[in-house]
Amino acid sequence: MTGNSSGPRVPGTTLLTIARLLSHEHLISTVVQPTISDLQREIAAAGPHRFARLRAQWRGYWAFWTVMLVAPLTSRPSPAQQAGAIAFPDAVARLAVGSIVAALLVIVGPLLGVWVAAITAAGVPFALVMHAWYVRHPSEIPAPTEPKRRTPQINFSSTEVPGNIGGLIFVVGSVFIVAVGLPSVIWFLFVAAVAGSLLAWALVAWHASHPKRGLPENLIVLR
Amino acid sequence: MAQDGVGPLPRKERLILELLSSQGPLYGLQLVDHSDGALKRGTVYVTLGRMEAKGLVESQQEPVPPGAIGLPRRIYRPTVLGERMLRAWTAFARELAWEMKP
Repeated sequence: MTGNSSGPRVPGTTLLTIARLLSHEHLISTVVQPTISDLQREIAAAGPHRFARLRAQWRGYWAFWTVMLVAPLTSRPSPAQQAGAIAFPDAVARLAVGSIVAALLVIVGPLLGVWVAAITAAGVPFALVMHAWYVRHPSEIPAPTEPKRRTPQINFSSTEVPGNIGGLIFVVGSVFIVAVGLPSVIWFLFVAAVAGSLLAWALVAWHASHPKRGLPENLIVLR
Repeated sequence: MAQDGVGPLPRKERLILELLSSQGPLYGLQLVDHSDGALKRGTVYVTLGRMEAKGLVESQQEPVPPGAIGLPRRIYRPTVLGERMLRAWTAFARELAWEMKP
């Protein structure tokens, strides 16, 4: 964006910031920026006439929000998505995820206590930071396609891991193997390990402070 | 990025191609103004983006003069494929109208 940072605020600056939060770069450059550019031209053309400026603003803002609502539903995927990379789909999905997170925050607080609610709340900005990082460093991992037939695979979910040094070595070794095999997910593994540790710590703390609550089979026994 | 196959030409896309062919390269807002209400400013760039992805139009950002404030505008013009599509659809519509004459 061109402009003079020391002068008056350029109309549409906030709209562009909002669009950058909600949309991918391809949509912004092809659809959002021309819409905001039109808004700026019309306001400039309106001159000092207050009514004409208000009318231009109203029409420009209406066009912008129409674009933000319509474009994710009708536009083609970004080049990154077309290339098969895993990308956050669109503003609608973001809105849906945001609503789910907000609902979880409301529900989780009273039910599970302040610790879990606090960690969940901390996870929201953390997720936003992770997403912003991803947008700037998109993954090259192709999205999985629908398999035509069931292929043999190793499933670790049913593997029992003892809670001792042997289990720790097994887990660290597994993570190390995956990290070596798929270096592009190493940050995901690292963040998942830290987040998992925090969650485990919070669960232990909660169960320690609420020994009588929860299902018996879910109780954590500290050794 | 042009598609492999030639699909139908929706009414708004046809109108945009007609305007660009008759008036020359235009900005989005000029297309809205010339369309007599058929194109809306909230959706014209979505349509133009889709047409650009189909390879029917191409766009270019206007050069920004030094000291200018605001985002640069984007000017649109039809591609060769777009002009051929328009001619084919116009011929098809004319043929169809002639066939349907009582």
